[in-house]
Amino acid sequence: MTLATFFLTSCSSPTSLAGSKPGVIEAVGAENEYANVISQIGGKYVSVSSVLDNPNTDPHTYEASPSVAEAVGRAELIVQNGVGYDGFMNSIESASPNPQRRVIVVQDVLGLSKDTANPHLWYDPKTMPVVARALARDMAALAPSHRAYFVARLKIFDTSLQPWFNAIAAFKSKYAGTPVAVTEPVADYLLQAMGAQILTPFVFQADVMNGVDPAPEDITLESGFLTTHKVKVFCYNEQVVDSLTSSMRATAQSAGVPIVGVYETMPTPGYDYQTWMMAEVAAIQAAVTRDKSTAHL
Amino acid sequence: MRFLLEPGFFASAPVRTAVIIGALAAVISAVVGVFTVVRGQSFAGHALTDVATAGGSGAFFTGISPLVGFVGGGVLGAGAMDLIGVERLRSRDVATGIVLSVATGFAALFLFLDTSKSATTGATQQILFGSIFTVNSSIVPYVVAMSVLTLIVLGVIYRPLLLSSLSSELASARGIGIRRVGLLFMLALAIAVGVSAIAIGSVLSTALLIGPAATSLRLTKNLRSAIGVACAMGVATTWLGILLAYDSYYWIPSSQGLPVSFFIVALILLAYLASGVPAVRRFAARTGPDHRLSHLASRVVGTRRSRAAN
Repeated sequence: MTLATFFLTSCSSPTSLAGSKPGVIEAVGAENEYANVISQIGGKYVSVSSVLDNPNTDPHTYEASPSVAEAVGRAELIVQNGVGYDGFMNSIESASPNPQRRVIVVQDVLGLSKDTANPHLWYDPKTMPVVARALARDMAALAPSHRAYFVARLKIFDTSLQPWFNAIAAFKSKYAGTPVAVTEPVADYLLQAMGAQILTPFVFQADVMNGVDPAPEDITLESGFLTTHKVKVFCYNEQVVDSLTSSMRATAQSAGVPIVGVYETMPTPGYDYQTWMMAEVAAIQAAVTRDKSTAHL
Repeated sequence: MRFLLEPGFFASAPVRTAVIIGALAAVISAVVGVFTVVRGQSFAGHALTDVATAGGSGAFFTGISPLVGFVGGGVLGAGAMDLIGVERLRSRDVATGIVLSVATGFAALFLFLDTSKSATTGATQQILFGSIFTVNSSIVPYVVAMSVLTLIVLGVIYRPLLLSSLSSELASARGIGIRRVGLLFMLALAIAVGVSAIAIGSVLSTALLIGPAATSLRLTKNLRSAIGVACAMGVATTWLGILLAYDSYYWIPSSQGLPVSFFIVALILLAYLASGVPAVRRFAARTGPDHRLSHLASRVVGTRRSRAAN
């Protein structure tokens, strides 16, 4: 990325869909996949912006800018991931207190501990239905006259997830136990739901995610999975990249192990949460059944 | 045996690359380091590590090879220091300080951009504290070439460099281009810092530069043998550090290795302290008031004596 595009993108963020209108709930999704679900539930009665939406950055190391602080300060409804993934949200919220504001912390609605090792909760098929229900409830509390509208949209959302669930179940019934290697735990919950067997040690994944060096033993192990074709798929996190992951990617390429690009935040434009998740499942399936790489969605 | 050498050490590809890069970094740092200490340019050496930090983080941001960034940054910094006047003793610290702070400012900017605006993860950790096990083996030939070139240049300018380091008046009386020799030396210093930044991180590259050199100069006053001792010590601490880092994977239940840089720097410190034992005795035996360490040494020995008397 060049300096010019950096300044352009930083000026356009956060992406606000509409200005403040009466009767419209101002909402913020800390990650754009949550913002997407907010708008799917809230429809015309919410105005959503997202904080993390640049597919070229690593959300783990994000630092909030003043414009983000302003959007968060205005918001009546916020969805954030928790598990330390977007800790900057807490500091912004406490800097601009608002007793009316409702904050949905996904970690809390799922009943997880803050020490949960893998923070990428939105890849878990169990997550979004729970988040959507919490959203419909809080939106109805903020705008009681539109309760029926929100409930109807919640139903539509739940139904729209069904093809994704079916795809996961179909893969699991046929290819359960498929060995995969990953660089980073981003898609682990999805891979586990699909019945895949993740061979990469979690310590290696956590080291890459946290930006510290993995042990040489783990590096040797991981490249061994690729060169000896122990794994059918190599899931490569496009947003958490370092010299090691790129050399692993090159190893996978030369060994002929199909690569599937996975993302921290929803790749935009062209995707909503459901189509994004469907695309990831389809890419993994194509890698397993046809040796087809999908480096970028 | 298993305790000393955990399984798979020699078969491991990351270890092989680390052993080569580490040895090269140790050797050129040691050779350059002995002159750095003799010339009293440790501060300049440290400043170049900050410039290398800026170069390395800039390289991360723009996506070019970190080796190019580290060495390129160092060479630019060396040039800048020479322009401002690193050779004139009075303005030397000022020039170094200016370059150091500007470079650190750029490093702050690039590291911010790296981590917040691009997908490069762990850039800060990797640049500052090194990442020897994740070095891409494709850069090894370049590191070899650069190290050999640096050693050849130092070999060619050995005598004039030595003379101008000990007495610049004498050197210029003999017709030696002090400025030119000084600039060549600064470039060698920049390359040494850049290569060891790849190995143990830009901030810690000072350790490989100054540690073995200072230790060997405590043990011998002959410059050639000091260079030899420094090289041997640098390579030994680096390799032992790599081995300990590799073994550390098996020490902790969570199976997470500890960083190489820590072990190398710890070993250098131990060697330096150990080398002080004979040096303190020697200084105590002499009583030259011109010697910087002598009063400290006699004080140390004196306390011991008075304790013994009690």
